[in-house]
Amino acid sequence: MERLIFHIDVNSAYLSWEASYRLQHGAVLDLRDIPSVVGGDEASRHGIVLTKSIPAKKYGIRTGETLYEARAKCPELVVVPPRYWIYMQCSQAMNEILLEYTPKIQRFSVDESFLDFSGMKNLYADYMVLAETIKERIKTELGFTVNIGISENKLLAKVASDLKKPDRIHTLFPEEIEKKMWPLPVEDLFMVGRATSTKLHNMNIYTIGELAKFDPELLRYKMKSHGDLIWRYANGIEGSDVRKSNHIEMKGIGNSTTTAFDLEDRETACRLLLSLCETVGMRLRDSENCCRVISISIRDNSLASCGMQKKIDVATDSTRKIYETACSLFDRLWKGRPIRHMGVQVTDLCSGDFFQFSMLDSFDYEKDKKLNRAIDEIRLAHGAKAVMRSSLLHSGLSPMSGGVGEEDYPLMCSIL
Amino acid sequence: MKVMNQPIEVISYTDDKGDIRPIRLRLQLGDEPLKVIKIDRIILKHVEKLAGNRMLLFRCQSFDGGVERLFEIKYEFNTCKWFLYKM
Repeated sequence: MERLIFHIDVNSAYLSWEASYRLQHGAVLDLRDIPSVVGGDEASRHGIVLTKSIPAKKYGIRTGETLYEARAKCPELVVVPPRYWIYMQCSQAMNEILLEYTPKIQRFSVDESFLDFSGMKNLYADYMVLAETIKERIKTELGFTVNIGISENKLLAKVASDLKKPDRIHTLFPEEIEKKMWPLPVEDLFMVGRATSTKLHNMNIYTIGELAKFDPELLRYKMKSHGDLIWRYANGIEGSDVRKSNHIEMKGIGNSTTTAFDLEDRETACRLLLSLCETVGMRLRDSENCCRVISISIRDNSLASCGMQKKIDVATDSTRKIYETACSLFDRLWKGRPIRHMGVQVTDLCSGDFFQFSMLDSFDYEKDKKLNRAIDEIRLAHGAKAVMRSSLLHSGLSPMSGGVGEEDYPLMCSIL
Repeated sequence: MKVMNQPIEVISYTDDKGDIRPIRLRLQLGDEPLKVIKIDRIILKHVEKLAGNRMLLFRCQSFDGGVERLFEIKYEFNTCKWFLYKM
């Protein structure tokens, strides 16, 4: 059956949403018309550009650079802080409108959705009219603009919505690939990031067309399965379903955070690890899994990153066990440079129904399990700050670190 | 009309269908004394969903001492607050 997929992408999402909310509350100035960015809090050193307006783009401001760099490029730049609850509200309202047109929607991230209109030709005779209706409704009712990409599969629809912004509709059907997609730089292809693009440049591949015509055998030899994947993407070959839920089988859980101040001694660093382990541990128990591999990552004040992982003998979901392993990893990894960012990840998950005790381990698992359960229940009922480790009291660290501070906030994903 | 977005006090009437109708509002602009405005006519009622935030917009008319006045007030569902939006 012929498929018809829409990809809807909000233009400068965070900024448009903030602008729309402000206009509703009587702001005279539209943030989208002036050089402005949504940026993190500089005092706690989360000061990077999250989203930029189109006038800000003209100054060469890029997403991900520091606010300091951005201000150097444009001194009159307006910086607004992120408000995630507005974003959730906007995303939800947009989804409600989309649901009026099709039940098959995959919310790919907070500002992107895939819509499946396959086999609805009798309902919507002209897809361009349909796309125009959806786009205009979002613009007039919710006050922000979107790009819509239309094609036969999710990948092409996604590339299409990225073609020219803002407030536009593009098609990218297989017969249009050569004309519309192949001249684009290879970085514009989904799954080609910084690391991959360098490798491709070394092979003299600069456009998507060059990648599509490249020998797939050679690509597979050089880049393993990823080479295969991006070659297929460059040729527009992709067949995944519009999944109703974005939930995929989880491979691991991790949280990381940038600290408000540099951590210079082991004690404070371990406290941050504990605070991260609290978040990771609670999420792990919530997913009813145990983990067998624990890893940590550290970024120092020169922005150099390193990481290390360890496989443990007994699968666990205990905050304390994760923390102990994280600390031992930290001691082996840390070379004494001031730390600005740390993360804890757990992988190799297995079901948490039962676990194998080790004879060499004197740890009281039952007691620890009861304690964890009690803490989780208190926190779920009364919030993360209801109960905290006394070592984190007055430490300047949050009792649970990591995350954007909003529940169920959908973030970007590398799997279509 | 000028955009004000000033929080105001409102007396409103809600019927058994959940339909809200503002009757009277009280506001203080700058150093001026408190002022009560009676809403004589509602010209337009509209549910606004900008940024996913639901607000009721009323365009109202009042005849204050023979002077006809036009203004817009808004009710925010989330916070239960009234605003004088434009005057």
